[in-house]
Amino acid sequence: MRIIRIIKRRVHSLLNRSGSDAELQREIEIHIQQLTDEGRAAGMTEAEARAMALREFGPAEQIKEQCRDTRRVSWIQNLAQDFLYGVRMLRQSPGFTGVAVVTLALCIGANTAIFSIVDAVLLRSLPYRDPDQLVLMFNVPEKRPDALSSISYRDFTECRDQNRVFSEMAGNAFHDLTLTGAGEPTIVNAASVTPEIFPLLNAKPLLGRLLLPDDGKPGAAPVAVLSESLWRSRFGSNPDLIGHSIALDMRSFTVVGILPASFRYPDGAPHQDVWISVWQDPLFGPLASRPGARLLGVIGRLKPGISPAKAQAEMDTLGARLAKEFPAQDSGFSIRVEPYRQLVVRNVKPALLILLGTVALVLLMGCANIANLLLSRATSRGREIAVRSALGASRARLVQQLLTESALLGLLGGVAGVLLAVCAVRGLQPWLPSDVAQISSIHVGGPVLVFALFLSLAATLAFGLVPAFLTTSCNLQTNIKEGGERSGQRGGHHARSFLAIVEMCVAMVLLVAGGLLIRSFALVTSVNPGFDPRSVIEAEVSLPQFQYSKPQQWTAFSNELLDRLHAQPGLQDSAVAAPLPMDRQGQALFEFRIVGNLPLPPGKSATANYATVSPYYFHVMRIPLRRGRLFSETDLPSNPNVAIVSEALARRYFPNQDPIGRQMRFGFPPNSNVPREIVGVVGDVRDVALSKKPGPMMYVPFAQAPLYGGEVVVRSSLSVSSVAAEIREAVHSIDKNLPVTDVEPFTDAIGQSISRERFRTFLLGSFSAIALLLAAVGIFGIISYSASQRSQEIGIRMAIGAQRRDIVRLILGQGVKLALLGLGAGVVLALLLTRLMASLLYNVSVTDPLTFGGVAIILLGVAVTACYIPARRAMRVDPIVALRHQ
Amino acid sequence: MPKPSDLLQGTLDLLILKTIASKPLHGWGIAKRIQTLSGDALAVGQGSLYPALHRLENQGWICAAWEESDFGRRAKVYSLTPEGRKQLVRELKTWTRLSSAVGLLIQNA
Repeated sequence: MRIIRIIKRRVHSLLNRSGSDAELQREIEIHIQQLTDEGRAAGMTEAEARAMALREFGPAEQIKEQCRDTRRVSWIQNLAQDFLYGVRMLRQSPGFTGVAVVTLALCIGANTAIFSIVDAVLLRSLPYRDPDQLVLMFNVPEKRPDALSSISYRDFTECRDQNRVFSEMAGNAFHDLTLTGAGEPTIVNAASVTPEIFPLLNAKPLLGRLLLPDDGKPGAAPVAVLSESLWRSRFGSNPDLIGHSIALDMRSFTVVGILPASFRYPDGAPHQDVWISVWQDPLFGPLASRPGARLLGVIGRLKPGISPAKAQAEMDTLGARLAKEFPAQDSGFSIRVEPYRQLVVRNVKPALLILLGTVALVLLMGCANIANLLLSRATSRGREIAVRSALGASRARLVQQLLTESALLGLLGGVAGVLLAVCAVRGLQPWLPSDVAQISSIHVGGPVLVFALFLSLAATLAFGLVPAFLTTSCNLQTNIKEGGERSGQRGGHHARSFLAIVEMCVAMVLLVAGGLLIRSFALVTSVNPGFDPRSVIEAEVSLPQFQYSKPQQWTAFSNELLDRLHAQPGLQDSAVAAPLPMDRQGQALFEFRIVGNLPLPPGKSATANYATVSPYYFHVMRIPLRRGRLFSETDLPSNPNVAIVSEALARRYFPNQDPIGRQMRFGFPPNSNVPREIVGVVGDVRDVALSKKPGPMMYVPFAQAPLYGGEVVVRSSLSVSSVAAEIREAVHSIDKNLPVTDVEPFTDAIGQSISRERFRTFLLGSFSAIALLLAAVGIFGIISYSASQRSQEIGIRMAIGAQRRDIVRLILGQGVKLALLGLGAGVVLALLLTRLMASLLYNVSVTDPLTFGGVAIILLGVAVTACYIPARRAMRVDPIVALRHQ
Repeated sequence: MPKPSDLLQGTLDLLILKTIASKPLHGWGIAKRIQTLSGDALAVGQGSLYPALHRLENQGWICAAWEESDFGRRAKVYSLTPEGRKQLVRELKTWTRLSSAVGLLIQNA
């Protein structure tokens, strides 16, 4: 009750300040009037009575002030006053305000934008119940511990049934299937799973039911669960679809349920359109019974209280048991357990943390710049500060006032920065590397705004505190006398020099980081991929397995397609291949043996990448023939099997020998383990990524080793759209139910393969540019200010005979000294820090002397230019004017 | 003007509370009453009453309203709040304890 009364009083005195003051005035006036009346009644004159009353009452103004103090709201009123005063000061010097706000907006904007990505990618939790319990499991060959591969169905069931650490375990595999019978034939993303996955991920159906344990058994009736988006887009949200059939790769499935759009697995991947049991999968079903077919990704939910390390120990034991029990498939393999979350962010984490560190450094530089501006300004405000403190303002009160001004700047900059970040995030969206963009939507939301606010306030303290203390600590008397020009000069001078060194140092680090990435990116993009991607267009065609089940049909289809394409004007240069360069999504290497060589010692094997191509492929891709011959139309299944190898393979496995005429065997369907004679050697191709050195590669003729689909590549001078239309028409003239997807120029595919590098290079490059600008502005400000403060000294020097040259040298020398100190510190810091980004670099050492040297020269050049302007100005000082001014 | 010592301030608060406990009064009246009752012994500047009044009001012990007064003008009339009444009892107790302690000390010294 009393509390409410007190709050009411405070609010009243805060909101109605003038009312309260008038009331107080009236109350006191009445009292004095009463005293006066009393005096008059006692026979005094009006004037005497009034004087007596005032004496008896006491010092009215002070009493009023004491009364006001009891309201306990003066700090709010002070704050409001400081705020208004700050606004006025900022408006009075729009140049200063503009520079400071733009600097802050750039820095806070960059930080906020990067933090919004970090927030969306690294800080967000997985959208499943108890996500920390989720782990993924992989088979890992002991020879190559970084090659994570899937697990066979048999091993999955062994692990699921024998482990004691998981409450649930499920297998999954993802691939495309062709959906027909619902409008245009289309490719759908299919998830081929074991039914445990739904309870494991806590999925609930939108309609109908999900897969039940019985659906996961071999021989069960084929049923499918559809995604909400497929159900809405293809089936018009028809609830009667449950119980009806759809055709996937020409196999009929009964729809039993719909999964809500909110359910996604794997997290960050494109939506899976249909969910079916592995055993009914037209593609993988037949493979599930093969113990050597590693086709399942495995996810497990740890029992409460079990750590991933404990699970790993258990799986080590299980893996060893499997290797003993099934040596043919499992010897040499262990099972790796990885926390799900860790895997999701593993690829992007280092780059993101480096970016975050970078923008933090940019912010530091921005703060240094503004602190420097404030210092210069505060020094010239010395007289004002001195007058204020002479009038009784305490130091704390003055610091509060100066900090309020800084906070105002900080908040203005923060607001502008957030706006900038919103624009930047929106503008950058199309440039985001696909793996980041997929993980989740990036936007400037709640946590990001809190971060920006926190950043603005932290920046305020960082750039406001030192100037505020330095300014208010100076001697009152000298200040008033000298108009403050000397105030805090010693402290201020040191602080400014220190700021300049810090800025140069940080700029050096950022420029080195940016320079290294740019150099690395330039090397990646200028690398010769071993083929010519220009004016090549690719398109994917895949054949439904149930309709096209025999290899002969696959060959017939590709022959027919190529015949039709070749008949078209402008499309003569076309070929079929699988897979294409840059399109090996984590595909494992194939093992092979060279006929006539001794078997390799255990634990060692010959491996290479593999592609099956039609005869024209090398011609279309402009892959040069080094020796022997290319494939021809006569390399048919009825003729001897042939192969072409890359130079890298020839070098590694046929050192100092001629591979032509030798035979190799490798186990790949459809006719595995047949000997193939090497008929040619072709140039190396950067097959996995532009930044990966070409590895050994083997090619076989499509006719002798066909696949159920593949990529069509066409080298044509026609436009992309017309080539795409021609390919579609040719495919549909053979089979109108076949989908053609992913039609794009090959250069686009390559661009996508380096999108991550491009993105981070762009960002870090921009940040380095900002850093360079900030460093230039910073050192320019410091040197100009110092030169203007020294104009009297310069005048004296010139009066006693110094040449203009000497003056320029004096001023320039001061700047260069600071710049060199900063550069030196920066080189040391950069050497320490760039090690962190080693994983992001291609073919560039983290201590690349060219980058370090080049950056140092650029930075020094910019610094000298920035100092030269004030030096020239100082040179023009007229000694008479400078001396008289004093 | 020097700030009244804490003892004095506390005493003034007590006097004010006690004075308006029986009937609401305006500042002028309170000053008069304290003067009359104390026989001019506690001659503080009449103005120094007001900071005390305002503090007590802002602390919620007393409340004020503008009313027609006995001398024909509208004046700010102070009265005790229920909490103020309790506070008066507490302060009186403290005061009695303190003054008897001081009295004992002085007698025995």
